[in-house]
Amino acid sequence: MRRLLTPAFLLTLGLLILGEVGARLFFAHSVSGRFEYGFSLDAGFMEHPDGRVELVMAGGRRFLPQSFQRKRPPGVFRVFVIGDSVTRGPSLKQAYPWFLQEELQRQGIDAEVLNLGVAGNGARRSRLIFLKILDYDPSLIVLHVNNSNEYEDEREYRRAQEFKGWHPRHWPMKVFIFRRLYEAKMEKLLWRLVPQTIRQRFAVNDADAEVAASQNPEKWQQWQRLVAEVTSANVALARELRVPLILLTQCRLDAQGSNPARLTDEGLDEMARNLAGRAGVLHLSLKELFAPLDFKDYFQDSSHLKPAGHQLLARALAEKVGEILAQSGGAHRVSSASPGRPE
Amino acid sequence: MSFVAWPYPFFLIGVVILYWVLGRRPRQLLLLVASYIFYGFWDVRFLALVMTTTGVDYLAALGLAGHRPRFLAVLGLPLLPGLWLGVCKVLEPLTGPVPWGTVAVALALGLAFSGAYQGLWLLPENPRRRGFLFLSVGSCLAILGFFKYFGFFTQQAVAVLRNLGFEPGWVLPHIVLPVGISFYTFQSLGYVFDVYRGRTEVCRDFLTFAVFDAYFPQLVAGPIERAGHLIPQLDREQVFHPAHLQEGLKMILVGLFKKVFVADNCALLANYAFAPETTLNGYWAVLGALAFAFQIYGDFSGYSDIARGSSRLLGIELVQNFRFPYLARNPSDFWRRWHISLSAWFRDYVYIPLGGNRGSRGETMRNLALTLLLAGFWHGASWIFILWGAYWGAFLIFYHFSPVKVFADREATWSWHTFGSVLSMWIITLMGWAIFRSPDLARLGSWLAALGNWDSGAALPWARCALWLGLHLAPLWLLKLATCKAQDETALEHLPWPVRGVIYALLLLLVVSSTEHDQEFIYFQF
Repeated sequence: MRRLLTPAFLLTLGLLILGEVGARLFFAHSVSGRFEYGFSLDAGFMEHPDGRVELVMAGGRRFLPQSFQRKRPPGVFRVFVIGDSVTRGPSLKQAYPWFLQEELQRQGIDAEVLNLGVAGNGARRSRLIFLKILDYDPSLIVLHVNNSNEYEDEREYRRAQEFKGWHPRHWPMKVFIFRRLYEAKMEKLLWRLVPQTIRQRFAVNDADAEVAASQNPEKWQQWQRLVAEVTSANVALARELRVPLILLTQCRLDAQGSNPARLTDEGLDEMARNLAGRAGVLHLSLKELFAPLDFKDYFQDSSHLKPAGHQLLARALAEKVGEILAQSGGAHRVSSASPGRPE
Repeated sequence: MSFVAWPYPFFLIGVVILYWVLGRRPRQLLLLVASYIFYGFWDVRFLALVMTTTGVDYLAALGLAGHRPRFLAVLGLPLLPGLWLGVCKVLEPLTGPVPWGTVAVALALGLAFSGAYQGLWLLPENPRRRGFLFLSVGSCLAILGFFKYFGFFTQQAVAVLRNLGFEPGWVLPHIVLPVGISFYTFQSLGYVFDVYRGRTEVCRDFLTFAVFDAYFPQLVAGPIERAGHLIPQLDREQVFHPAHLQEGLKMILVGLFKKVFVADNCALLANYAFAPETTLNGYWAVLGALAFAFQIYGDFSGYSDIARGSSRLLGIELVQNFRFPYLARNPSDFWRRWHISLSAWFRDYVYIPLGGNRGSRGETMRNLALTLLLAGFWHGASWIFILWGAYWGAFLIFYHFSPVKVFADREATWSWHTFGSVLSMWIITLMGWAIFRSPDLARLGSWLAALGNWDSGAALPWARCALWLGLHLAPLWLLKLATCKAQDETALEHLPWPVRGVIYALLLLLVVSSTEHDQEFIYFQF
């Protein structure tokens, strides 16, 4: 046996163990629940004994770092904005939730707006965040509804299930550094260097297989239905708990080919209009907001906004907030603005 | 079962543990059962073909050596494939459909073989020996010809008839190509040729021979072993030594690295570049050929390394199949470094029997051309492979008979001439791979036309893809640099242990960074 354990073999083993242990020790937050891929209620919410709640990158949920008090301080108008990479923005201070907070504070509202945008989050993972924030006494929830992340949601859900599974095929991926290395290569390097045409044609990995699936009309309709069902469930719950809700529906800039650029909402506006309109639930359509303008100036790509777009959106949202406050009698208006709470 | 599929490590660990626990005879039985399970993972029905080759060549070799087997063996062994198909028929829901006609034909052919075999014993020695040789070669090539080449020849016949104005109403059957048929057929035939020429002892023990014919590490894609090398190792009682495990695991790791990290990632670009619908320009034509050159190298040499490593765990050494082929200095040198076991097979059993280089210049040229054409055709029933064989044949003839010494000798020390030779060989090899990889002559034509078009046009941007390729080739070249001193692509023992430890850890990390591709080995189709 001693002759089997050669110094080179022991060194190999040692390096791998060191890497694994090091990652788990030094990146404890991001390792913890990492392979639940955000399919966990508590992922990313770190509660401290002093009552502070920190938003962190953990459990596969990569929140922008922010914090707030578990119990909403009296007079504070707390807004949670749930969404994907559009909500998340280029950075905390260049995204519309931040601009919304500034706008509301300018109007004399002691507002605390928290950006819960996580890139790639679809309906199912947004639903989990929605359920979680109900514990934190929201004054308003802005639900940014998009339907282009469902393939990613589905893929991550399958991965999370696979990771829990017993199948030997997944054993190597239970090692944290193996899994992270695999993901870093296959989802960052590959996507950056190899054009989508090649990746999709040969469906290189499950991510690309999902993208290929997104071009399947049947699959697309299935995802549309899912988004409608989940959003409807969220609206019903908000109504039941009497939490005001704004459904913010995403649109896509279609500027390819020789046709003039246009905005498309993929049926989201109609769905949201059907759900909104009654007390406590408002609808804001990105398409309707930008369509009268020279909208290409506000979009960074087909779906992400430039800072100017974020600012415009924040102002439109602030108007909607005004409607909500008018309904509730303006209970949150204060004389002086309080600073934001991002870390 | 594929070496890169998840059941293989469990299978191998199980076999290795049992192997070292058991005694010599049970070990052989274990290896035979394990080999049949390994092959049966693809399709248990095709085990009948492995059994046929084994039975036929075992009996033929005994006949060649003048050992008359018992009547029961002569009757029973050729019937085994038919009986096996009968079992598959009974278990049809598990094994897939087996028509009764196939079972009946297999049994009838078995009986016919037994009859012919018994009849040959009535002849005098020389005609009898030729008869046994013919029986073996005829049976093996008939099986190979039917499963691999029947479709090709019938298609050509139909095309010729159509050109002559006839419209044959045949419905061409779709024949499934059994995995690795060319490999085990050639290995078995090599044994019969060696016995015929008296170069190797006849194997009188059926179990040992059956293991030789179906030995799982090299059953489906080589290396094509010689009986004189493998049978004595299977026959003798292996003694466990920790070095077997160390070497075996290291070879498997290097093989996995070549297959999973290098080949599968290069395949992405090669598959795109050679797809019929892809718009190519000069950059993509070169990038595609380069990607395929390393895909096929990583794929096949990786397979060979895993095969050698798996076998080493059992204390059995397989021959080296690749030795830095992309450092070859001339065409002849390339074939001494690429798929060495097949090149040696064609040299010993085709080229030399044809006369080798012993005759006139014209005869030598003919022998070279014929050997390479056959080697090309061995790879597959298609004009593309014949063209590829002809291409290499032309370069070998040029190398041997050109009045100008263009290429450096194999043993030459490094100089500008050597460097130029290696570079020239790169260009020749890349062109060769472009022929090999093209799905048809039309695609090959568009690949060649793309070499004259260096405009970006409608082709995809290539620079980032080239970076992707480079990132996967850099570790391979570093590994080559580390191993070239020992002239073995898996040899790392000469390095200090801390360096080895780091290399193993890095190789492992690179392998896991590229899993989940599950691309099949290219050479399985041959």
